[in-house]
Amino acid sequence: MTRSLAVDYGELASDISEILISPEELQQRVVEIGRAISHDYAGKNPLLIGVLKGVVFFMADLLRAITVPIEVDFIAVSSYSPEASQRGVVRLVKDLELPIVGRHVLFVEDVIDTGLTLNYILRNLQARQPASLEVCVLFDKSEHRLIDIPLKYKGFDLPNRFAVGYGLDYRERYRNLPFVGLLKPAVFQNVAKD
Amino acid sequence: MTPTDPQHPTFVHPAEEAFAGILDFYGIKWEYEPRTFPLERDAAGNVVEAFTPDFYLPEQDLYIELTTLRPQLSTRKNRKLRRMKELYPEVNIKLFKRREIRDLEVKYGLANNAGPIRGAATQEKEV
Repeated sequence: MTRSLAVDYGELASDISEILISPEELQQRVVEIGRAISHDYAGKNPLLIGVLKGVVFFMADLLRAITVPIEVDFIAVSSYSPEASQRGVVRLVKDLELPIVGRHVLFVEDVIDTGLTLNYILRNLQARQPASLEVCVLFDKSEHRLIDIPLKYKGFDLPNRFAVGYGLDYRERYRNLPFVGLLKPAVFQNVAKD
Repeated sequence: MTPTDPQHPTFVHPAEEAFAGILDFYGIKWEYEPRTFPLERDAAGNVVEAFTPDFYLPEQDLYIELTTLRPQLSTRKNRKLRRMKELYPEVNIKLFKRREIRDLEVKYGLANNAGPIRGAATQEKEV
């Protein structure tokens, strides 16, 4: 890594081969998105909904970049795994606490890849009859896209590589890095040997 | 179609079965090898070369082809895909290459599948 950071992330940073998006670039883009949302949703009291866990970093910064009244809520869904698939289909493991019928809902996601999870969540939310339902995504990995989903706000395109940081994880690690970086291949190539 | 469906197909490769399992989990309808696209005919009109994508997602009107071949061994499949796009430009098809399949398998916790893709066994047969 060539760029210096204010905090020494030790072994986490040592697994990174290259910084793709710096903390400054992230914050600048988040502020731009926040400004656009503030303009578009003025007077609508939108409800921002995020899906745990990766979105918390983006959501926290985005909320503080929005200058109009908003509310926020979170949901969580089960992720695919061989074990989960034996038990059936994807399911909500934490539902919303706020009703969304008649509300202007902005769904906030850290990354869209295949679109499978987002498609499931949007179908679920749409069934609850919001006044509007739009999507805000910080990172777009479009090469793997299976479900075409309109994105009202988008932060960055990401290459089809193992990127981590700012909420993006690999086996639950690296979310707390303040930048987005590429994971060294040696890290994830060991996965089948574990 | 789901893995417990009596009509569930016999998959050629474990990567296909894993992919079908992921689609099932997220409630995406799919069909396995539902259509063959003729690519070349002889003078008598007989099909001498054809291409059969692995999956069709009817709600997305999207065909999916998975290939676990190493890049240097997938020349024939790449040529067939190029030919298909020339002959059937209206057909939406997405190719998931070896590395992309592996990425998906790691993403969805299928590390046991991700390992064998790196092995020589997958080079023996196109899927």
